[in-house]
Amino acid sequence: MCFVIWHMYTSSQSIHPEEVLSMAETTPKRPQLAAVVTAYKRMLHPQHIVDRFLEGYGLNGAYHYPEMDLVSLYVDQRDGEGDLTQERSGRHPKLKIATSIEDALTLGTGKLAVDGVVVVGEHGNYPLSPEGITMHPHYEFFEKITAVFRASGRAVSYFNDKELSWKWDWCKKMVAISKELKFPFQGGSSLAVTWRVPSVEFPTGATTKEAISIGYGGMGSYDFHGLETLQCMVERRKGGESGVEWLQTYRGDNFWKAYESGVWSQKLVRAALSRSATLRAAVPTFTDMLPTIEQMKTIVPNPVAYHYQHRDGLKSTMLLLGGMVRDFTFAAQIEGQPKPFSTQMYLPMPDGRTTLASFFTPLVYNAEKMFLTGKAQYPVERTLLTSGLLIAGVESEAKGKRIETPELATVTYQPYPESSYWRS
Amino acid sequence: MLTRRRFVGYSALSSALWANGPLLRSAFGQENGKGPLRLAILGSVYREGSALQTIADRFMVGYPFEGDWHMPEVKVVSLYVDQRIRKAEAGPNEFQKAMSGNLKAAWLRPTPGVPALHDDQRRVGEKKAPAAPPPPPSVPPLDELGPTSDLSEARAKQFGFRLCRNIPEALRCGGNRLAVDAVLTVIEDDEYPRNERGKILLPNFDFFQQCAQVFETDGRSVPYFNHRQLSFSYIEAQSMVKTAERLKFPLLAGASMPVTWRLPDTDIPFGAKVQEAVVVGVGSLQGTGFDALEAMQCMLERRKGGETGVKSVQLLEGDDVWAAGTAGRWSKDLLSSALSRSDTPLGLTWLDGRTQDLTAPGLLPQLVKDPSAVCVEYTDGTRGTMLLLNGAIRDFNIAARVTGHGIVSTQFFMTPAPNETHSACLAAKIEQMYQTRSAPYSIQRTLITTGILEASLHSKHRMNERLDTPQLAISYQAPSESQYSRT
Repeated sequence: MCFVIWHMYTSSQSIHPEEVLSMAETTPKRPQLAAVVTAYKRMLHPQHIVDRFLEGYGLNGAYHYPEMDLVSLYVDQRDGEGDLTQERSGRHPKLKIATSIEDALTLGTGKLAVDGVVVVGEHGNYPLSPEGITMHPHYEFFEKITAVFRASGRAVSYFNDKELSWKWDWCKKMVAISKELKFPFQGGSSLAVTWRVPSVEFPTGATTKEAISIGYGGMGSYDFHGLETLQCMVERRKGGESGVEWLQTYRGDNFWKAYESGVWSQKLVRAALSRSATLRAAVPTFTDMLPTIEQMKTIVPNPVAYHYQHRDGLKSTMLLLGGMVRDFTFAAQIEGQPKPFSTQMYLPMPDGRTTLASFFTPLVYNAEKMFLTGKAQYPVERTLLTSGLLIAGVESEAKGKRIETPELATVTYQPYPESSYWRS
Repeated sequence: MLTRRRFVGYSALSSALWANGPLLRSAFGQENGKGPLRLAILGSVYREGSALQTIADRFMVGYPFEGDWHMPEVKVVSLYVDQRIRKAEAGPNEFQKAMSGNLKAAWLRPTPGVPALHDDQRRVGEKKAPAAPPPPPSVPPLDELGPTSDLSEARAKQFGFRLCRNIPEALRCGGNRLAVDAVLTVIEDDEYPRNERGKILLPNFDFFQQCAQVFETDGRSVPYFNHRQLSFSYIEAQSMVKTAERLKFPLLAGASMPVTWRLPDTDIPFGAKVQEAVVVGVGSLQGTGFDALEAMQCMLERRKGGETGVKSVQLLEGDDVWAAGTAGRWSKDLLSSALSRSDTPLGLTWLDGRTQDLTAPGLLPQLVKDPSAVCVEYTDGTRGTMLLLNGAIRDFNIAARVTGHGIVSTQFFMTPAPNETHSACLAAKIEQMYQTRSAPYSIQRTLITTGILEASLHSKHRMNERLDTPQLAISYQAPSESQYSRT
């Protein structure tokens, strides 16, 4: 069976012969996409992502309409109030509402009939795994989609929002199959691609011994964003990503003991918090002040730390400090720099602060670039590692001790030279 | 007629007479040049969420700056809050209180470590009441203070500074000569009166004049920061700038919008020719309208030839705003570009989350019931328009057509309440001026913006007429290095 990646180019796109395995039977045309999502309701990830393909969005100083067509949509859970599927299909007659994933990809032709797949496995109502992670159907979607790829003898670019799967074996399998079928596979969180305040990139090839991220939210959800915040930066260090040897989760009293005894750097916490725009003052009537550790204890009821060591010695710590911050920040001690390197990964969060979750803009735009060029814009190994770190974080918490992570020690990769965060 | 605005001046004069006896000894006097800078804070209202609280607190508890929590080399030594004095004035006067023995009104509670007012109010020769020691100052604990509580006393107690009854006292810390190294003034609309043209009579000029008088009398001048516009009156604003030049003290003014982060991190290339700019925001003309005009000015002043002045100003309102867009008075392309930077569209996004091009035909007039536009013609031909589109968005964005660079557009990142970290960006500029005795950007920027704002209010009063503005023939050069936060 021969797997051919089809790349559909618009007329404005330059064509590199080596990128195109077969264009013999096609003239440049707009890529046709299928979307496979959990639930299509206001403010859920599928709404943010699918709407950008359908309605366009503000990008880099203009209102941008993707140069591709979303031609089919499969929604896994259409029950309940607020489903937007019908409203959208009513206004977008070209959009076929598919009754199955296979239908979405084949458009009734019996074989793969689209040039790219947009998968959003976040949100919806799915049960918890025994470990306590929501069993979002990323893998189930993947399995059905790649079954169509196999049956059609053709595989196309695949965008996967957020983590790969809640189960490590499936994460690994997804990456392996993408390599076997040779299709561009791009995933992850918008944290890796959104605005940075300040707009800075981790210096490629720099040496760092310790890095942290500070975020909010709970385990099994926003921890993924915190992990991506860290990983999209530290993967650029000297030698690239070397894999992760072990991980330990700290919560409750153990968290504060570890913090006070310097398991992770208090200096880096101070640097990251100084990048926050939402740092809660622990003293009444003040609106912006740096809390002491004692004050933090009074405003952070459920702190979480995933503290882990990479094979090259780097120690990373992902902190969730809900109650104290409502944003994601990063800090690292870079060799040769007098003070910590730090920034905020800015999410214009529509929780009252904004109305539009604009951080989906660079996520979708990077997906568009993949659909147009046939090349993933950042390594899927990043998402593999962060998916694995989340699973390990939850496991360490359950076991109440540090766990060795031999499966993550083998996730090694090099960063892509060009930065993919939003800066224009 | 004694307006509310003028009241401040009279009040200060009368209350200055109280400054005698023990009050003349400053508890905080330090030799200039040694230790932290001594700061006097003057404002209108000090309650949680007020501009004064948001900015002044930063000089007490520090602020985020370049990836660290920065503690300024500044010691707040005195505070004057106009509202406390005005509230007191609304009640029985000092004489009545003295006669009735009621001097325990909250606003008059003594600052710890500072002699109590009623000691000084005692008439000469009067004996001190023997057996009744004054009750210990009872400043309510912070967690008992509500959002409308005056925080002056609590802050004075916590940070050990003097709570003052007038501006000269704040500057002299109760002594007889200037005893501070810097002045911070943050005045916001707190029920100040309006004049017949609808101008809010904020007492910035009165505050400034009183300070300048102390500087002049005492033969020493210190750096002065004035938050936002210099005055509601351009003539007064001009006088403030001239006074600062004459007395040779650095004067910095303005809002945080010109210095906050930008999304994306971009500016008009220094020295580039700019054809037109459109800034779009929300709020009222005299409120955030000033901030948006100043933000536009901080970008336009970088254009080729620098600032050469404003030729005319016109305020448009209602349907005239849209008609002007159709007629090409302001560029729809630039509005479209600016709006594409917004994170707060209020059309269908609000309804079901979808993305939406706000410049689709007919949409903006549907969303915005009371649009207004300030159209500015510069003497070199550059045009600038500020659109206030309440109902369409909630943030502030700009787009400019720059020869050779296409359209440059960005969002001025006004970070969320309550932190409002954008004011930390401003605090850093203020502190820079205090420490270096040099303003990081020209006061002429704030002066010309103050003038544009006044002219637009005059235009409104004159049935939205286009007004020539020979008084705004102001030339100045911007610093070549951008002054907004980037690091």
